[in-house]
Amino acid sequence: MMMFASDGFLTDNSSSTNTGQTHVFTSFPNSAVDVDDEHSGNKTINQSDSNQYTLPLPATANETTSEQYHLWQIEYYQKYFQVDTRQVVERLIGSITPRPNKSYFDSTIRQNPDLYGPFWVCVTFILTVAISGNIVDYFHKSATEFQIDFSKITLSALLILIYWWLMPTAIYFFFRWRLNRIEYTFLELLCIYGYSLTIFIPISILWIIPINWLQWTSTLIASIISGSVLIVTFWPTINSDHKRFSALSMLIILFVHLLMALCIMLVFFHVSDKNINPTTETTTVFTTVLSTTPK
Amino acid sequence: MNNDQNSFLSSSQPIDIIDGNITSTSNQNELSTLDEPIFETIKRDLSAVLRKFSHALIPRQSLTLLQQWDLWGPLILVTTLAILLQTNTTKTSSGMHFAEVFILMLIGSIAITINSQLLGGKISFFQSICVLGYCLLPLLISAFINNFLFYLPYKSILHIIRFLIVMIAFTWTMYASICFLGQTQHPNRRILVLYPIFLFYFLVSWLIILHTHSK
Repeated sequence: MMMFASDGFLTDNSSSTNTGQTHVFTSFPNSAVDVDDEHSGNKTINQSDSNQYTLPLPATANETTSEQYHLWQIEYYQKYFQVDTRQVVERLIGSITPRPNKSYFDSTIRQNPDLYGPFWVCVTFILTVAISGNIVDYFHKSATEFQIDFSKITLSALLILIYWWLMPTAIYFFFRWRLNRIEYTFLELLCIYGYSLTIFIPISILWIIPINWLQWTSTLIASIISGSVLIVTFWPTINSDHKRFSALSMLIILFVHLLMALCIMLVFFHVSDKNINPTTETTTVFTTVLSTTPK
Repeated sequence: MNNDQNSFLSSSQPIDIIDGNITSTSNQNELSTLDEPIFETIKRDLSAVLRKFSHALIPRQSLTLLQQWDLWGPLILVTTLAILLQTNTTKTSSGMHFAEVFILMLIGSIAITINSQLLGGKISFFQSICVLGYCLLPLLISAFINNFLFYLPYKSILHIIRFLIVMIAFTWTMYASICFLGQTQHPNRRILVLYPIFLFYFLVSWLIILHTHSK
């Protein structure tokens, strides 16, 4: 047991009671022991001098394997990517199956949040929305008018990335303000929201089919499923609050999720009943949403 | 000062002057390609590029592309593909479309490389870009074929034929890049690395499929 000896040095308990010449060198750096000193008859070797060699090593010396990486080295970011294929598949499946009592977040993500899944799910979603939007244009316009619209990629990227980053930021600060503690780190929130977009990838392919009621029902069902996974994840934390307030915040989360899905559906895919040719201006999101509000 | 300079310049004493040729006279086996005619250089580089094309087409040997990487092949392929993918463009906007395709491919390659490095792969940045660029060759060939097929009269069945051709080229491309890049990763993470490559080539294939032009 380490304790402070009378001369102020941290020593082993056994050695402090030992007044003789036998010292217990518990831990000392190798370079501190100079063989020549002992043999040259240094008369001042006594208890206090030898106690210097029992100081413990500094904490950083124990970690020889993990170096301190800097922000501009790629190894710094490798700690966010410590996942295997099996784990990613587990998390993806967990994000689309809402289970009432078991939060998939606690069971799969909590120990090891990663950035691979959310990032590539978002990129896949962006690409499927952009490609499907172009396919919809291809079938609706004649062959002479059609041009590959690259602005769809940038527009969908903007919408989806904003949603992926805005909601975790809002929830993070909401938890900090309301609950005064950090229940979920920002990385975990990014994870949750990234994986929650998984279900929209097949839905965005389904959106190509220009049947009005099919588009609406698939949007509703998909947002309810992934929204309920979100609610199940956040419920244990928010449940400690007032009943009405917690219900309200859950509803807000679900509503914003639905809003995002509706935005994307209306901007890129919507075929209104009035005219078969969809609007092709995608200048601003709001004008398009306002102009294509269905009956 | 002046005295010193003058004495240096007009020294009458013999100074040891070391003279000789700058070229290496000793060893003809040294890798000094500065003296060879340009035709030799072009021939050598071109044959290296063509050899890598053949490796990309028929992926049997997995070392040449990785160890002796060069960026000529990717540059030629991406530029040609970007030119081929001009659709219905007027004179003013064709520059923008070329740039969009080019930048898309560049950003895609960079994202895939960073992804494989973050997942612990032991491949360097330019090696990865080299492999991704060279494996684009089947897709480029399918884009050529699609361009020629467009002049045939049967329109409706042509959609399906073009789709099939591009899908075949896409599977060929994926197979080639799996052969090269799949070995550089831990087996538990192989699919995690190959999935972005799949996305990238998928995007390029869709660009080729949706490409039409009018006459």
